[in-house]
Amino acid sequence: MKALLDSFKPGFKGGEISALQFFGKHGISVAFVLCVVIFSLSTQKFLSTDNFLTVVMQASIIGTIALGVTFVVIGGNLDLSVGSLLSFATVLVVDLHDKVGPGMAILLMFVFTLLIGSVNGYLIGYLRLNSLIVTLGMLSAIQGITLVYSGGKNVDISDQTNTWFAFFGREELFGIPVPAIIFIVLGIVLQIVLLKSGFGRKIFAIGGNATASLFSGLRRNRLVFSTYLLSAFTTACAALILGSRVMGSQNNVGEGYELLVLAGVILGGTSLLGGSGSIARTVIGVLILAMIQNGLLLLGFPYYTQWLVTWVVIIVAVWLDIAAKRGKLFSTY
Amino acid sequence: MKVQISSVRTIRELGKISLLAGSLSLGLSGMAQAETFRIGITQNNVGVDSYQTTYEQAFEEAADEADNVEVVVLDAGGDVARQISQVRNLIQQQVDVIIIWPTDGQAVVPAINGAKNAGIPVVVTNSNIAEAGQPLIAAFSGPNNIQQGAYAAEMMCDQLGGQGDIVQITGQPGYTTAIERQKGFEDRLPEVCPDVRILDSQPGDWNRAKAQRTMEDFLTRYDKIDGVYAADDNMGVGALNAAKSEDRADEIVFIGATNFAVGYEAMARGEYHGSVYQSPAEDARNALNIAIAVAQGKEVEKMSYFETPKITQENMDEFEKPVF
Repeated sequence: MKALLDSFKPGFKGGEISALQFFGKHGISVAFVLCVVIFSLSTQKFLSTDNFLTVVMQASIIGTIALGVTFVVIGGNLDLSVGSLLSFATVLVVDLHDKVGPGMAILLMFVFTLLIGSVNGYLIGYLRLNSLIVTLGMLSAIQGITLVYSGGKNVDISDQTNTWFAFFGREELFGIPVPAIIFIVLGIVLQIVLLKSGFGRKIFAIGGNATASLFSGLRRNRLVFSTYLLSAFTTACAALILGSRVMGSQNNVGEGYELLVLAGVILGGTSLLGGSGSIARTVIGVLILAMIQNGLLLLGFPYYTQWLVTWVVIIVAVWLDIAAKRGKLFSTY
Repeated sequence: MKVQISSVRTIRELGKISLLAGSLSLGLSGMAQAETFRIGITQNNVGVDSYQTTYEQAFEEAADEADNVEVVVLDAGGDVARQISQVRNLIQQQVDVIIIWPTDGQAVVPAINGAKNAGIPVVVTNSNIAEAGQPLIAAFSGPNNIQQGAYAAEMMCDQLGGQGDIVQITGQPGYTTAIERQKGFEDRLPEVCPDVRILDSQPGDWNRAKAQRTMEDFLTRYDKIDGVYAADDNMGVGALNAAKSEDRADEIVFIGATNFAVGYEAMARGEYHGSVYQSPAEDARNALNIAIAVAQGKEVEKMSYFETPKITQENMDEFEKPVF
């Protein structure tokens, strides 16, 4: 125990890495294991394949969006518009389903969602506007578009029982829910893109040091633009899952999701300052959030406690992340 | 934009009235001019859900049909501060009656007090204001949510045959409608069915996706669930979705409230068992009628509830499919 406490001190020489550095590197995995152990010990229902798949499925909507947003954040920007973009895309795909059929509805939904994403990308990438302000403004603007489009009404798929659109949210493949498959497969592909492709390396570069990357000939505007296109794409995928799961949509269905998405990304250790991060850890971050909510509900905790615990976990995670970077737990000045 | 629409509408109405007044004064000069009432309404947040959107349309239609009524239709966009300034605005316009759909039952009380001091009676519509404001208003017009909760409890009891274990999905925490429906349900259930037990209760925020997710966790936690009470059909259908994907829908009785189109259809398919029928059009008409009666100086009931009957698979043919 003393060795562990010592290892938090700045001048720690005991082993190869201090506990803080370990947390900085593996904190999220440690937290994940801790969550699993605590919930498994406190409720029998938690540790089962069925419940695990339920958690992954529940995490899939926030999680899929978080995949794209991870790219945005690594590139040194933020995207707060994804919540209302999700509402827009879901309302659009559900409404068009009855009018033009599922296939065309999905295609059009992707087109329009990417179009809005490219407005974000243009304003932030090419015009160099502050991403916080732009996406905060877009949050309201997209909400407005959604309300005008739907005339303020909820939309529903009229024949809920007989449409292949149900595949994305309700079916299973090899005993695994399709939403979970979409989330995980997309996660694996994007992790490979981030780590192995030139595109991925350049995103790290512009987020880490924008000026240096400009001097080294990277086209920052185009790269930033693509990260917003990517986050619009993953949001559209999430809308596909959500619309199909619920078979209908409310105008404000994605309200507040932008914060949960961001929380998942930050929990995964992606720095808000840009330049570092990982898709795999974002996935774990989002799973932890979903697990806490699922676990506390299984334990019968009241609603407010669930939110309290969720946000305490997020704040502690951010604290440990910062502490690991500066090498000590508390700031002395 | 809303304000613009309503001002266009006001101008149109004013035009109509001046024409009318002109023809009256030409043709019947010397006779008393028919009295026109001006009624102002500030709504909560039109456009966020189908109920409020339908309400506004019905309100405007009813005002068109009514004689000698001119309406100023405003919307607070869910913003208490905006609603308070809209009330002040209506006071300045010296309307005869103000109708308020409160954005916040507590925060609008001083504004209502201001109207009362200016001699303008206030009718509260749809969801009630805080206790402190009750002596200040002329009337409340809306659904009786406690009664609705009680109806749901009775239907649950009937459908379960007197015993079973159920879960409850409530509305937005802190929202009056949610609190009252929960209270009505929980008070009435033990009276009619002492052997029906509520296993668990979690909020679904009036949101189908959220309710669906909550139900998934309930299904994991409890091996046996005989019934689900959801505070509106939107959430009820979410719970139904969750149960269907676990193949457990057949063994569960689904009872909701505020019959939605999807709930109505699920009822027609035999998957959904009961709800409380609440028409936004009737809600709007009731509010307007009460306001007119108040303007005319007639005696009105302080709590004026409109009918919200039980709807089940057996009697659903007597009801029109909801438009929202």
